[in-house]
Amino acid sequence: MCGIIGYVGDSDETLGALLEGLSNLEYRGYDSAGVAVGGDDVRVEKRAGQLDVLETALDGRSGSFTGPVGIAHTRWSTHGPPTDANAHPHTDASGRVAVVHNGIIENYRALRDELEAEGVTFASETDTEVVPHLVARALRRGNDPEAAVRAAADRLEGSYALAVVVAGTDALFAVRHDSPLVLGVGEGERFVASDVPAFLERTRDVAYLDDDEFVRLDADGWTVTDATGTTVDKDVRTVEWEAEQTGKSGYDHYMLKEIHEQPRSLRQCLSGRVDELDGRITVEELDELGDPATVQFVACGTSYHAALYGAHVLRSAGVSANAYYAHEYATAPAPVSTADLVVGVTQSGETADTLSALREASRRGAETLALTNVVGSTAAREADHVLYIRAGPEIGVAATKTFSSQLVGVNLLAAHLTDRNERRRDFVDDLRGIANDVQAVLDESMAQAVVEEFLDADAFFFLGRGLDYPVALEGALKFKEITYEHAEGFAAGELKHGPLALVTADTPVFAVVTGKGEAARKTIGNVKEVEARDAPVVVVTDGAAEAGRYADHVLEIPQTDDRLASLLANVQLQLVAYHMAARLDREIDKPRNLAKSVTVE
Amino acid sequence: MFMQLDSAVVLAAGEGTRLRPLTKHRPKPLLPAANRPILAYVLDALVDAGIDDLHLVVGYQRDRVQDHVGPTYRGRTVTYHVQEKQLGTGHAVLQARDAIDRDFLVVNGDEVVTAAMVEAVMDAHSETDAATLGVVESDRAAEYGAVRLDGDRIAELVERPEDDSYRLLNAGIYACGPSLLVDIESTERRAGERHLTDAIADQIRAGNTVRGVRIEGLWSTATYPWDLLTVARDLLASGHVDEPERSEGVYVDETASVHGDATLRAPVVVGPDAVIGPGAVVGPDTALGRNTTVDAGAVVEGSVLDIDTQIGSNATVVDAVTGQAVTVGPGATVPGGEADVRVGTTIHEDWRLGCIAADRATIGGGATVEPGTLIGPDARVGAGAYASDIVPEGAEVRR
Repeated sequence: MCGIIGYVGDSDETLGALLEGLSNLEYRGYDSAGVAVGGDDVRVEKRAGQLDVLETALDGRSGSFTGPVGIAHTRWSTHGPPTDANAHPHTDASGRVAVVHNGIIENYRALRDELEAEGVTFASETDTEVVPHLVARALRRGNDPEAAVRAAADRLEGSYALAVVVAGTDALFAVRHDSPLVLGVGEGERFVASDVPAFLERTRDVAYLDDDEFVRLDADGWTVTDATGTTVDKDVRTVEWEAEQTGKSGYDHYMLKEIHEQPRSLRQCLSGRVDELDGRITVEELDELGDPATVQFVACGTSYHAALYGAHVLRSAGVSANAYYAHEYATAPAPVSTADLVVGVTQSGETADTLSALREASRRGAETLALTNVVGSTAAREADHVLYIRAGPEIGVAATKTFSSQLVGVNLLAAHLTDRNERRRDFVDDLRGIANDVQAVLDESMAQAVVEEFLDADAFFFLGRGLDYPVALEGALKFKEITYEHAEGFAAGELKHGPLALVTADTPVFAVVTGKGEAARKTIGNVKEVEARDAPVVVVTDGAAEAGRYADHVLEIPQTDDRLASLLANVQLQLVAYHMAARLDREIDKPRNLAKSVTVE
Repeated sequence: MFMQLDSAVVLAAGEGTRLRPLTKHRPKPLLPAANRPILAYVLDALVDAGIDDLHLVVGYQRDRVQDHVGPTYRGRTVTYHVQEKQLGTGHAVLQARDAIDRDFLVVNGDEVVTAAMVEAVMDAHSETDAATLGVVESDRAAEYGAVRLDGDRIAELVERPEDDSYRLLNAGIYACGPSLLVDIESTERRAGERHLTDAIADQIRAGNTVRGVRIEGLWSTATYPWDLLTVARDLLASGHVDEPERSEGVYVDETASVHGDATLRAPVVVGPDAVIGPGAVVGPDTALGRNTTVDAGAVVEGSVLDIDTQIGSNATVVDAVTGQAVTVGPGATVPGGEADVRVGTTIHEDWRLGCIAADRATIGGGATVEPGTLIGPDARVGAGAYASDIVPEGAEVRR
């Protein structure tokens, strides 16, 4: 959602480091941005709009924005529309306390009423603004700045990562509860941020803060304490990502760059996990994982489609498995026992809904596993087990390479859960070939030409059955989120139970048909149904069932194992969505109203 | 006067048509030099020579270059300049014009060079020179850009002169003054193309200082597909390989898996995640790329196998170059040896070449491939079939 960053170091560097950090965090949210530079006093500048609006506002005034500490924020609206007033940082009435916040303060209404009753006037509609007023009140009551920030945090319910500066104090205070916060330790400068890329150009040595930990940064160093004030020893570790991995390297968009990275990220995901000579799949991280009675996947968005796919793969292998939306599961969980495994699929490891669902499952005694891309993320730390998909950082809001790696990840999990000593040379062979199969799709895809046919279409439908059903859903989600065109994915069998009413000559239908089994044969039947309504049909297929005969256009994929064919079909649909959005000149990497990782519920 | 330059323009836009069918999906700089792309050697040489500002001119299949190199290389910024149409090396350099305001380097992205060579060219260059070129002694000079020196000046610069009296070739490492950019623009086009060497030849004719500096060490490039075997041999012989050396001349990546009963014959390099099965014999003069497989009992000798290539059990592969993800079935035979090879309309006689198999070509189990065969991308030689001469893209040879 939002992204925050805090800096302590060289006064002349503060503003530059903050703006650099904001630019690196922009993918988390971008309807407003702001900075506050502290020291003897606190100066704030904030603007609705993208980061360049703020940069323009600061142009020529950087001289007055010097000071040893600073905080900054990019915002994605949860409370109140994007306006200058609603942008962070928020301050108290005197302008001596400034706060940036990521998360949602659930009891802000009660706190606001309480403060207003004491005569405090609010300048914005945000939940965050209660924080600077609470800090200011604690200061007025004689607390030192650190104690005042602690006192304010104690009153908050909900999720938050906060960074606070107070005039007259060359220190920065930060605390987290259910929202991510990372400490960065550089030479002569220190950072806190929602995510590592914010400061990766300046330091790679980081410490991840745990829930309710409080950190004080100043010129002398940093101290982390727990909720009771006891000092906590934190491990500082070096992140392996290169700052360079966050640039676009000549591509027009991060999304296209990430689509092209898939052969490499898939090789990385499989490295050391598949033994071709032996025909075995081994995932060291899962050594401690028992044999669950049932498996429940919880996830949101694209990760939910990977979860649906994973549940299907497990069921086909004889393991009882289901996928649930994490936000539904958190409030209405399925029955679960200590014999069961609940798998949270979350790219960032910070998706608030998925964390809640995992916590709920854990509370009910289930074993939990996080399938995630981010080492040290909250999900990775909280779950009993973790399986990393090793896709590397993903900047484009529309998930691409991480989805492909999630699909491989759930296959590794399924292999581990079902007779892990079985030799499966054919599947291992196909897994080792998957990177190149994706390369073949990238090299030869006709997607760019196909979208030219449909620039004036009314709506787009995506059909698939079995393992291709989640791919149809994902294809439609990707398409709608970046093209802003109406797109829906359906289980192919559901077509005649309603959606067929929407099908016309102006609604292209993308049908995913892989393999040559019963599912493919039936989907071809559905293709004929939409053909009969004059809808243009694009078939994404490996050719095994000769589905191309019934299509206006064919997007081909290489033949491989059925489980992996769905992954390849999805790559074609990624390209369809990308090229359509590019043709329509959309803001592909930052679709309107969307953020990369949704860290509030 | 020593001159450390900051910026280098690397030319990586050309397909390398004489290297077809290997260049179907990627430009020549990304073809394998042993187990890494040629371009990786070029960029390493520049970074080791102190160049911090890298400019890549990309064009043909540029996605591949951009994906491979990324936004920075070893921490140095990489800026991409797109040459939409490949209208010569001079035209390519001009694409980076806006980024250049002082003396700079131009380096061909498809020739293996060393940092010492780059440093030697910078050492010889001064701001008053129009350009300084690295030159290499070679008995094949007449096949490349050939050079005659007069002291430390270039007296003559001529492309493929077909005259065996030339002993020096243009190594493709140039230090240039910024004014050369203007000169390129005023250089006459040849067949619609602007060439960097024509612009430099104009400077020589105009009496401006164009220096040539003799450089020594490993310089290697591929004109034809089989030259990749020579490039690999050169790199292996000089130990210019970035994998850990397990025993003398045997370089194996830490993530590779070599069965205890397999034999590695030096010099040989085995890339990341490669797998070699029991009883397999790999080497000498062989490079295995990332994620390649040589199954039980297979023999691979004098060959370069690119990423994802799989050699089936008991297959024999000698003197072959494969593209990415080529599959050779169990018991298939590529016996190797000398052959006449046809490229376009030209026959190259008596070249040592087992076969060239382009990206995703398949040689079926028990098939035999005659020496000198060129197998196109996605082509299939069926199980037990016999292939010779040329198998076009996507074609199938049946028994």
